[in-house]
Order: sequence, then structure tokens, then C-alpha cells
Amino acid sequence: MTRSTWTIFWRTVIGRAYPRIIGLQREKSWLFFDVFLPLLSVAAYVYIYRAIEAPPEFLGFVVLGGAMTAYWLNIMWNMASQFYWEKETGNLELYIIAPTSRMAILLGMAIGGIVATTVRALAVIAIGTLVFRVPMTVTSVPIFIAVFVSTMIALYGLGMLLSSLFLLFGREAWHMSELLREPVFLVSGFYFPVKALGFAVAAAASIVPITVGLDAMRQLLFPAMMSDLRFLPPEAELAILAGSAVLFLTLAQRSLAFLEQLARREGRLTLRGQ
Amino acid sequence: MRRGVRSRETWRSLRIAAWLGWQVESNWADPFVFAIYSVIKPIAGALILVFMYVVVARGGLENPLFPAIFVGNAFFIYVPTVLSGISWSIIDDREHYGMLKYMYVAPLDIFAYLAGRGIAKAVIATIALVITLLLGVFALGVPIEFASIDWPLFIGVSLFGAAILTFLGILLGGITLITARHSYYVGEAVAGALYLFCGVVFPIDVLPAWLRWIGQAIPLTYWLEALRRAMIGVGASRTLDGLSDAGLLAIVAGSSFGVAGLAYVCYRLAERRALGRGLIDMQTMY
Amino acid sequence: MRTDVAIRTEELTRVFRVRRREAKGQKREVVALDGVSLSVARGELMGVLGPNGAGKTTMIKILSTLLSPTSGRAEVAGVDVVEDPWEVRRHIGMVSGGESSGYGLLTVEENLWMFSQFYGIDSKTARARIRELLDIVGLADRARTKIYHLSTGMRQKMNFVRGFMTEPEILFLDEPTLGLDVQTAKVLRDYVGEWMRDRGDRTLLLTTHAMHEADELCDRVAIIDQGRILACDAPVRLKRSLQRDAIFRLRIGALTDLESLIGGAEGVVRFAQTPREDHTEVDVILSDENRLPEVLGAIRNRGGSLLSLEKREPTLEDVFLSVVGHGFEESEESPQ
Repeated sequence: MTRSTWTIFWRTVIGRAYPRIIGLQREKSWLFFDVFLPLLSVAAYVYIYRAIEAPPEFLGFVVLGGAMTAYWLNIMWNMASQFYWEKETGNLELYIIAPTSRMAILLGMAIGGIVATTVRALAVIAIGTLVFRVPMTVTSVPIFIAVFVSTMIALYGLGMLLSSLFLLFGREAWHMSELLREPVFLVSGFYFPVKALGFAVAAAASIVPITVGLDAMRQLLFPAMMSDLRFLPPEAELAILAGSAVLFLTLAQRSLAFLEQLARREGRLTLRGQ
Repeated sequence: MRRGVRSRETWRSLRIAAWLGWQVESNWADPFVFAIYSVIKPIAGALILVFMYVVVARGGLENPLFPAIFVGNAFFIYVPTVLSGISWSIIDDREHYGMLKYMYVAPLDIFAYLAGRGIAKAVIATIALVITLLLGVFALGVPIEFASIDWPLFIGVSLFGAAILTFLGILLGGITLITARHSYYVGEAVAGALYLFCGVVFPIDVLPAWLRWIGQAIPLTYWLEALRRAMIGVGASRTLDGLSDAGLLAIVAGSSFGVAGLAYVCYRLAERRALGRGLIDMQTMY
Repeated sequence: MRTDVAIRTEELTRVFRVRRREAKGQKREVVALDGVSLSVARGELMGVLGPNGAGKTTMIKILSTLLSPTSGRAEVAGVDVVEDPWEVRRHIGMVSGGESSGYGLLTVEENLWMFSQFYGIDSKTARARIRELLDIVGLADRARTKIYHLSTGMRQKMNFVRGFMTEPEILFLDEPTLGLDVQTAKVLRDYVGEWMRDRGDRTLLLTTHAMHEADELCDRVAIIDQGRILACDAPVRLKRSLQRDAIFRLRIGALTDLESLIGGAEGVVRFAQTPREDHTEVDVILSDENRLPEVLGAIRNRGGSLLSLEKREPTLEDVFLSVVGHGFEESEESPQ
């Protein structure tokens, strides 16, 4: 019986999302380590601003940035480097020989991971807003949702692109994921408006979708404070995000195919213990 | 004789684990790439703080708080590195390399082994620390003068601080023995919490009273304050002004023994549970 | 595209280049497969027999699209594995021995269901097939057990089910009974035989270094060593080719340098020696049974003691010895 490519695609997505979702239910320690403890880390940045007597909107910047770090870390650790773990445990070769798309497998992982990540992000925003009395009002809900969704699509597209590196590389790529933490937190303006780094740096940092996504969301939540601190108008940033989404997803598809072929040629698809 | 055998075993475990830890950390790239990695991460971390001050603080980097905060932030590099290094080695050995069971079968001192795995991370953290301090001194005007450093205080508090971090890492290692793989960054998550309570990047005076007592109960708060006084002659928190340098050192020294005892008990309890439930070779990857 | 040839390789070669850091004075290139040409008909159960490091797994990896050849060509179900790996994957399945794949937090059934989804099998059909196969391999009572609680044998049974549940046209089994106990290995071998008999269009390529497994199951056996196919025929014909020779097993005590003693004797076609605790076991292939007294005389003259002597029917191991020139165990000991 021949099955259509589309049937295999969406069944793969569901199948691969399943272990992530069921794992969250079976080992609930993630609620403490992935939600509660990171909340404390966000609170630390709030208190930095309090110590230097920053305007209350800056507390909001930090809360929002802290929520978005959850997604960035999810991309880096639960998506980009996931193929490395799959390779080490022997699952990768089983994925490769299955007549299914790598994008479907990654999408399944992303959907599975997004559940925990969103819980973490919402917890940060809810508690941040309530405990620190951060004044947040959305000036345009449709644009805000559009910005958030575009940011997610572009971000996960970037994650898929990065994951293709792990088909070829071993531990080097894992360290690259580590490397992309603090520098990205810095240049993407997780904790302060990215414009403080100068237009050129902000423009270069826009390669990371969260940079413009965060800036746009801050403008929609804190329009008065952001009027002097914004990078680009939200509409322009939304356009950049949409373009990034298309770009990264296209590049991811090509990169996955190319690097898989390269890894197959060099015998690295099944190379373990690196 | 038995004591002699055990101490040789301890030394051997420490030595081999330190070697193994270094191999794992350093053999993934050529030295140049490794050097870049070691430089970029700490500098980026420090610059986040710098730009927060530049954007908001009165006086920017001239703000009187900045030097103490910068120094505290720099030394805090050890915390996530060592904590995650030790707890991560449990997960790495168990889930990735399938070797944890062999560590348990071998005549190995597991505490020395875990401490040894932390040594490699500590070496990397030291490189990051030096780079960060050099950035602070030469680019940001942080007033650290080599001749003015209180070396007895610095050495004393560093040694006891290293012990605290090591045993804390072992305690977290015990937790990872009995949890699934997604707690692989338990070390970093706990470090994030310590970042809040220990007055790393802001004086603990800023915390509400009901949170401040948590910070005052954590030895690392005093460790950081003592390091600041040793390096630049002043601390960051008015709350701790009443404590002399000797007092700070005594607190850090005394609490290192307390943390050691707690870590030993917690790890052994977790180990017993893991052995009872057959978790030493558990692979939960999802 | 349906073809009578399920698997075909032409001068298939795979060379691994060892990186400088690891090589350190040793060879920089490792030839894992060296011009292998093989053809497996649809409906055939083909065995590939060889010691560790012979190239069996490398061949399977190329045929299952996990590895590209350095040169040569391979086709599976009439499709080139390099040019169109996607199409190849629609026709194949694979089970490897000694595997630890799967997600520890999921149950047996859940792991299997997840993999079935990668093949687009609807859940109802998948679950029915999984239950049936788990019953056959004796794992039905563990369907709801998380796999990190399973023993090695049970995990391998689960892997077996994973390979078969997708009903592949062509199945690769790479040392599937590796590390399993005798009973479990037999259960799995029996199932393989039944699976093949069930439908005449299924093809199976089995790699193993267990001679009896190849002998029991395979329609044809290819003997591989150091990346080359040295013989390929039905087990009975391979063994028959040796029947003109006489095969003896000698157990000899207290004698060194058997190499020159026996190797130099008249009529000795091939021999292999295996040191045991207090004696040496020597398998000798003689061109003529009447040469045996000369060999025994040489041993006696040198002061050796003959502990036992038996004449044997040729086995695949003898075929290996005859074809390769040394024993199976010696082959595994020699550096690559």
C-alpha cells in the first residue's frame, strides 16, 4: 500500500511530538527546573534594574525578555542539538531510513517542546506582571499575535537550520549551541532595548528572529518608553519576521538535505561517541 | 592499611576524573576555536550587565555600584560552570556514554570522581574569569590593582568557596541520579536561582525582607562579598557592612563544612534510591 | 519499479579516511569494502558471513542509505541508493543487533507506534500489527513496560518487531541476534524463517558471524573478509565443494610451532589452530584422507601428544577456512 507523502508527513509530526508531550507528564520535575528556577533568574534582572532605579517599563522589558529566553533555549537545546542526541542513542539512523521528511521529525519535536516552553514563558509573564507590578497593555492585539507567531515560525525555522549541522558535526556543534547563548542574549536585546547597541549591531543581530520580535512586542506593550528606544517600526519588523520565516524554512530544507548527503558520504550519520 | 588504600583510591579517582573531564571539555575542537569559545562567552555575559548600566544607571559605568557588581558577576562564572559541570557529568556518563554503571562497578571514590570532573570546568571558568577581569580593568575602568589585593583573604575565601561549589555540585549530582534527562541543566537552573539571592548583580538590600533572609542563609553571598572586598576593597551590600573581613571568611569556612555534610547525606540518599530502583543505567532520552 | 533483482551491487567500494589525530602512525585509509559485486533475487534470504570488521555492517549501511559508497553502484528495489535514497526507503526496513535505540520513558507499544507513524501507517493498523508481533516474539506481557526497564534480549525483540511491523519489501538484519541468549535467538530465527515463507516476494539480507545461523536460514551465503566477497553460493553447495577434501579436528598437547610442523606437511590444504587452556585445537583440511598418518607422524616425532582425533563433515567454518586461508577467530584477531 502506498501512502501519500502528506500522510507520512503529518503522522510523523504527531508521532515525534508524542514522546515530548508524554515525557512531560511522566517526569514532572521539569516544572521545577524549567519553570520555577528560571523565574528566579528573571527576577534577578528585575532587581538589577531596581537597584539602578530604572523606570518600571524596563522591568517589563526584562520580564518579556525572560519569557522569550525560554524559546531560544528550547531551540538551542531541544531542537538544534537534538539530532546529536538521537545519533548517540542510535535513533537517528532509524529516522534516516524511514521514508519521511526530516522537517516533519523536527516539527514534531518543536511542537512537543513548545508545550513546556510556553508554560515556562507564560509563568514568567504572569508572575512577572503580578509580582513586580509591571504595567503592560497591548496597543494592538492582532499585530501582537502576528508578531509573536511570525517570531515563532522564523525562530523554529532557524532551529531546523541549525539542527542540520548536527547531522554532520558531533560535539563541536553542541558547544556552538552553548556559545550562542550569552552572545545572543546580549546582541538580541533580551534584557535591554537592542538599539542601545547601535543601529549596525541591531541590524546584524536581526538575523536572530527574537531580536526584532522582542523589539516589536516591546513597542506594542510599552509604546511610550519605546518611542525613543525602538529599533524599527513594528510593521517593518513584522515584515522582516515574515521574510525570515520563509528564508529559514527554505534554507533548513535545503541544508538538511545537503548536510545529510555530506554526512552520508563522510560516514558521520552513524558515528557515535564524539 | 585500609585507610591508605582508600586515600590512594580517592587520589586516583580525583586524578583520573580531572583528566577525563579535561578530555571531554577540550577535545571537541582545535585550540583556536576553543580559545574563541572561552573568550566570547564570558565577555558577552559581562557586557549584558555593562549595557544595562549604560542604558539606565545614573552615571552609567561611573555609578558607584558598578565595580562591586562587575567583580561579583565575574566571580559568579564559577557557579554555573562548576555546578553544571558536576551534575552534568552524571547525566553525560549515564545517558550519553553509558559509563556510569561502570564507574559504580569500579573501585572508585565517587565523590572524588565527581570533584575531579568539576576541576576541568573550574579551569575553564578561571580562564573566563581572568578575561572578564582584564576587560573590566582595561576597558571599563574597574579599579582592581594587583598590589592592593588582600591576598590572604582572597586565597582563604577562594579555597573554601571552591569546596562549597564542589559539594553543592555533588548534591545536585545526587538529584540528577534520580531524575530524567531533561534536568540536564539542573546545575545552571540552580545557579540562576543563586544569581537572584546571592547579591551577584545587585545588593541584597534591594530584595524584599522576606527574600533577603534567603540570600543571607546562602554561603555564596558571603563568598562573593569577601571576594569583592579582597579585590577592590569594598563590598556591595549595606546589609553585610557589619561583618568584618575575618567574619566573612569564618562564615564561608564554617559553611563549607556544613555544605559538605549536607551534600554527603543527600548524595548517599539519592544513590541508595537510584540503586534500589535500578536507575544507574537508566536512559530516558526523549 | 518492480524487478526480479531486489539488491544489486557492482564493484561497491567504501574507504574510510582516518583523521590525523587518531591515526598517529597507523594507516590513514581503511578499505571497508573493496569492489563488492553481489546480486540478491527477490524472495531470497541472503546471508553475509564474516568476522568482525569484514565489512558486513558497512555494506548494510550503504544499502540502507546511511552511508555513501566511495565508488561503485548499489541498487535496492531497482533504485540507486545514492541517486534516489528517498525512494529506496519506501521499500526497506532494518534491524541492527546490540541496539539501545528508543525512548526510555515510553512503553514498548508507544515506541513502536511512534516509529510506525514515520511510515504513515494508520494507528489502528499499526497497533494491531504491533500486538500480533509482540505476541509472536513473546513480549506481549511487556507491551506497557517502559523500555528502560527491559533487558537486552527484550529490547532486541522490540527492535525486531520495529523492523517487521512496517512490512518492508526488503529487510536488512545486521547481526540481529548479537548478545542474545540461545533461546531468544532461536525464537527470532524461527520468526525470520516463517516471515520469509509467508510471502514469496519478501527479500532479506542477513549479516552474521554465527555460522549456524547462516547455515540454518539462508538460501545463499556470501563469505566476506577484509571487504571482499570470497565465495557465494548455497550453504549445501559450499560445503559440498569441500567434500572431496578430508576434514579432521585434532587436539594436540604440549607442542609449539605447529605452523611449520603441520603447514609443512604433505597433503595439507589448509589448517587453523585455536589455543585452548591446556591444548591446541587444530582443524586440518587434507587433500586426501590417506595423508593423515604423515601428519600424525610429524606430531609424534616432534614429541607432541595427540589427545583426540575426529573426522568431521564440512561446516561453513571449514568453508571459511578453505576460502580465506585462516580460521574465523584468527581473522578477528588480526589488525585491520
